[in-house]
Amino acid sequence: MKAGLSLPLLLQRSLAHRRSRTLAELIALTVSAAVATALLTLYASLDLKLHHQFRAFGANIIVTSQNKNGTNTAPAALPQNALAIARQAAGPESRVVPFAYAVAQTQDGSSIVVAGTDLADVRAMNSWWQVSHWPELQQSADPIQVLTGVRAEKALGTAAFDLTYNGRTAQMETAGTLRTGDAEDSRIYLPLDAFEAWTGVSPTTLEIQAAGNGDQIQAVLARLRQALPDTDVHAVHQLVEAEANVVSRTRSLMLSSLLLISLTVAVCVLATLTASVLERRRDFAVMKALGATQHRVGLLFLIETIALALAGLICGYILGCGIAYLIGKWNFHTTIFPVWRIVPQVALLNLLVAVLAAAIPLRILRRLEPATLLRGE
Amino acid sequence: MLLRLVMESFLRQRRRKLLACVAILLGATAVTAMLAIGASVGDKMNRELSAYGANIVVYPAADTLDVQVGGVNIRPATAGSYLKESDLMKIKNIFWRNNVENISPELPLTVTMKTAGGEQKVPATGYWFHHTLRSGQDSWTMGATALHPWWKIEGAWPGNGSRNEIAVGSDLARAMHLHIGDTVQVENTPVHVAGIVSTGDATDRTLLIPLALAQQWLGHPGAVRRVYVSALTKPEDALARKDPDKLSPKLRDRWYCSPYANSIAYQIEETLPHTRAEQIRRIAQGEGIILSRISGLMWLVALAALFAAGLAVAASMTTAIVERRQEISLMRALGATRGVIAALFFAEITALAIGGGLLGYLLGSLLAGRIGQQVFGSGIAFNPTILPATLLLVVIVSLAGSAPSVWQAMRMEPATVLREEA
Repeated sequence: MKAGLSLPLLLQRSLAHRRSRTLAELIALTVSAAVATALLTLYASLDLKLHHQFRAFGANIIVTSQNKNGTNTAPAALPQNALAIARQAAGPESRVVPFAYAVAQTQDGSSIVVAGTDLADVRAMNSWWQVSHWPELQQSADPIQVLTGVRAEKALGTAAFDLTYNGRTAQMETAGTLRTGDAEDSRIYLPLDAFEAWTGVSPTTLEIQAAGNGDQIQAVLARLRQALPDTDVHAVHQLVEAEANVVSRTRSLMLSSLLLISLTVAVCVLATLTASVLERRRDFAVMKALGATQHRVGLLFLIETIALALAGLICGYILGCGIAYLIGKWNFHTTIFPVWRIVPQVALLNLLVAVLAAAIPLRILRRLEPATLLRGE
Repeated sequence: MLLRLVMESFLRQRRRKLLACVAILLGATAVTAMLAIGASVGDKMNRELSAYGANIVVYPAADTLDVQVGGVNIRPATAGSYLKESDLMKIKNIFWRNNVENISPELPLTVTMKTAGGEQKVPATGYWFHHTLRSGQDSWTMGATALHPWWKIEGAWPGNGSRNEIAVGSDLARAMHLHIGDTVQVENTPVHVAGIVSTGDATDRTLLIPLALAQQWLGHPGAVRRVYVSALTKPEDALARKDPDKLSPKLRDRWYCSPYANSIAYQIEETLPHTRAEQIRRIAQGEGIILSRISGLMWLVALAALFAAGLAVAASMTTAIVERRQEISLMRALGATRGVIAALFFAEITALAIGGGLLGYLLGSLLAGRIGQQVFGSGIAFNPTILPATLLLVVIVSLAGSAPSVWQAMRMEPATVLREEA
């Protein structure tokens, strides 16, 4: 061939000449890259996002003082600095909330459980607590502003009441009503410092909401056991087991969807490339008639396809990251960031689809008889 | 005539239709499978999440306050009121009866246990372990073991018929040196330790005894303290939080007929007078969040499948028509009007789309079933509501995808196209 018809120039002309056809191919390859990127990004971040959703169930690790005799006695107090040690061992992403309990007497002599805790932390950890109004965090002592469980409120009858513990009476006022449908409904919650000042009882339980997947939770458990040797540290079985199950099932579902959708998109690319060759039969026939080898024509088409696949990869990656971001916003209410390590996978997938899809049209090209095609011109 | 043309076209141009067929088939398969999975994932995940335990608790309306610290209730055993065990069957008669997966009554009490080491008062709870409930033809096995799948038993659960078998919490067993097969005196009755249970919570420090035995020791035949119910529910939305008694009749009907945890609790209260039924918010709310996220995700993925299938079908249709330009030109040269040609092609494409769509629906349903079997261990049944959606989508996309090419082919000069015959 003449210098004027070098391969790059041919390629450039060929792509520019039939703009609508080039555009259709580019769109097909962009879509295939975008779908792969979005699904792979989702798949890669799924673990983290789903485990994050499971934090809605609250604490997954409980620390109590060791119950040596194993029978029905009230749990003993934790070591003095247990809270600080647990916070350090659990790491900055975990939330540690102390609870202290006492059984107080109302004025008519019936028993009621009062609990002291860090109300701000409880609010952040137990999102299912339905509270009409949270007490002020900074409060002057008298009367103590408390959170009253809905059943306790009904039993007490009034918003302002006195409670007695160990002969010491404290005045309290209900700031808000708490409803959980569980044991909390029968209790009264007050800020830990006010509780300790009144009863002298220190925390007996730490509820810990450890972040991350099963392995990370096990690591937190191990660290806690080492840091607090004289306590009973255990995972809430109920939560940890079901969580792993649900996450792994969702991952498998996503993987099967990914394969199915990739296959569909591959057919789309195949159809588009076939159409492209069919429309350009005559161009290829002319090239062959002018002396281009079968190889060269095939190469031209292949390079053209790969160039489009690469362009599609770039557009598709950006588009796919955008789609994953939007899905993260809509569905998980958090941000899903681009994942760089999936780029090779997406590139490989897109090139593979493009080359496989080009193989069938190439067979059509090979069968072309220039003479038949050009006859009559 | 048209029919015969379409028939001949199918019989004689098999290769040329191959790509279009594959695309339609695959597109319909993908759409059906993804829609079927999207529609059933909520149900499947709901069942997975029931591993979290009960989401509704029922207790007597006149009950006194629980005095519960560290999972152990220290309220005097005589205080408070009871529900009737015989009434529990009614929970299986509410509007959403089929969503009620499990009913587990509990009756806590304190018992005196005599071992070699002496006498000791220990907390005990009466449960159904594997209780059979019957209503007409149907029967269900319900109880605490199914409600708490994370409870691990060493040995066996106390048998249904033999009243003097018990299970012991692992901490209590360790402290009292109890082993499987031991016989101990509880409330002056010899009982047989059938198993040792490890739960990871306060239950580890209690005796787990058959409900009938607990009722007998407490002196309240047929009494239960509270009932835990595990139900398949719909995630809570704005309507679910409304008070049904303040809604308009129409909205109230919608509220009543949606399987919210709140409406199931409301229906239980209706059937069992003098009770309170409440959603256990920790479980119900958490499940709601997880469910809506996962089904949201699967619907979005199904949407992606829909989009991909649409593109694939449209692209292959374009290709199919490009291949057949000469045919169109020949017909035009022989005097066919554009209307006849359009009718022929569209009839052909519609037939292809319906055939491919039907086959794709079958394949997609089978595929969804396989995926369901693999992932959840239970298949996904054929969902007939997906069929019209799949067919409609495939037909519309096929027609829309081929229309521009057919139009373009008809506008070409027949003479020019025919000269190119290959």
